[in-house]
Amino acid sequence: MNANLKETILNPIFKGNPITVLVLGICSSLAVTVEMKGALVMALSVIIVTGVSSLILSLLRNTIPNRVRIIVQLVVVAMMVILVDQVLKAFAYSIDKQLSVYIGLIITNCIVMGRIEAFALGNKPIPSLLDGLANGVGYGLILIVVAFFRELFGSGTLFGVQVIPNALYEAGYVNNGLVILPPMALILIGVIIWIQRGIQKDLQEK
Amino acid sequence: MNTNSNVYTVIYSTLIVVLVAALLAFVAMTLKPRQDANIKAETISQMLCAAQFYTKDECSAMGNDKVLEAYASNIRRAFLIDEKGDSLRALNTDVKNIELQDGLKAQNAAIRKGKSAQLPVYIFGKDGREITVIPCYGAGLWGPVWGYLAFADDAKTFVGAYFDHESETPGLGAKIKDDPDFRAQFVGKQADWASSPVFAIVKGGAAKASEIDAITGATMTSKGLGTAVNTWLEAYKPYFQKK
Repeated sequence: MNANLKETILNPIFKGNPITVLVLGICSSLAVTVEMKGALVMALSVIIVTGVSSLILSLLRNTIPNRVRIIVQLVVVAMMVILVDQVLKAFAYSIDKQLSVYIGLIITNCIVMGRIEAFALGNKPIPSLLDGLANGVGYGLILIVVAFFRELFGSGTLFGVQVIPNALYEAGYVNNGLVILPPMALILIGVIIWIQRGIQKDLQEK
Repeated sequence: MNTNSNVYTVIYSTLIVVLVAALLAFVAMTLKPRQDANIKAETISQMLCAAQFYTKDECSAMGNDKVLEAYASNIRRAFLIDEKGDSLRALNTDVKNIELQDGLKAQNAAIRKGKSAQLPVYIFGKDGREITVIPCYGAGLWGPVWGYLAFADDAKTFVGAYFDHESETPGLGAKIKDDPDFRAQFVGKQADWASSPVFAIVKGGAAKASEIDAITGATMTSKGLGTAVNTWLEAYKPYFQKK
């Protein structure tokens, strides 16, 4: 694998993470991170939508009239989002109900349009597909990390399975209700950004 | 080719939209039977929850087919009544062909306008007693709220309730569905058929047997749900008073 392609894949996962560095897709990452299961499905959905729409638009990139390119992008992304929603409704109804409006809102997730504008329209299909997938993964990773802490401390479970022993509850331990609410997700994402900026000194402003 | 000419742009856009529309229509039609089956199983599991046969988690774990079987084996009869409480026709309860009254929205409009309605009554058998399950439907804060109310065979005491919503605020209004403690308040409460309102969701300290506490921080959802429950109970009043 050549260095460029490797960079395309690895960059969005840590160094140029869409949530922590580009600060895109914050809204949905606050909303769907109460439980690991929902976060995982949301992550997979976004990975599929960003990957496939980047691929399609990269294939079309030389035919798209410049003046209507945003509209063409919207049509393709909207199509992918509706497809994902329909498939979830048919095969994972309870999760679709839980994610409800946020699946539809993937289209407003800036990561998707951002990567298409910035990358897919100027690059060959394969790198575009990888770029889309990798950005989806970068988004998904943060979602899962946040969901891990929120589900563990908010509900005492992981993937719906209780992990905090009953003995601890009997000893007076109480689930933290604040962790369930969106503000705590914002604080958690803030902490992740803080840690990343601590490691990556070049992100710090002078 | 000049991709910036007007003709090209118009043809290109039209083509893309038509292609995408055709693909989506095809997918939607292919998946429709499966989605309908999911919605039906969901509706039935909400009734089973209201009647306290299973918890919601148990229903989710059962899968669609098991939910349908559970319905068919516990239901005694299901039928539609009109707004005067007279029976219109029976609903099919055979496991292969379960018939439900789906159009709650249309019925809600009919009730509110005082037009003729077709209201479903589902009667389940449990431990030799009859549990009557009826739906309710109304407007929450952001979208519709609906649910099922289950009565013991004295036709006024609640054995349970289950509510769902389209887009109430998570953590606040969404508690009508997510908070088991809210639903549990219904158990043992009574519809007061003699008075109006028949049942109420009140702020701070439910004193009467026909009242429960609203949800803190979700005033509008609580009000909407209270109205929904009350409107539908009023509509079923003739039926229950005949019993």
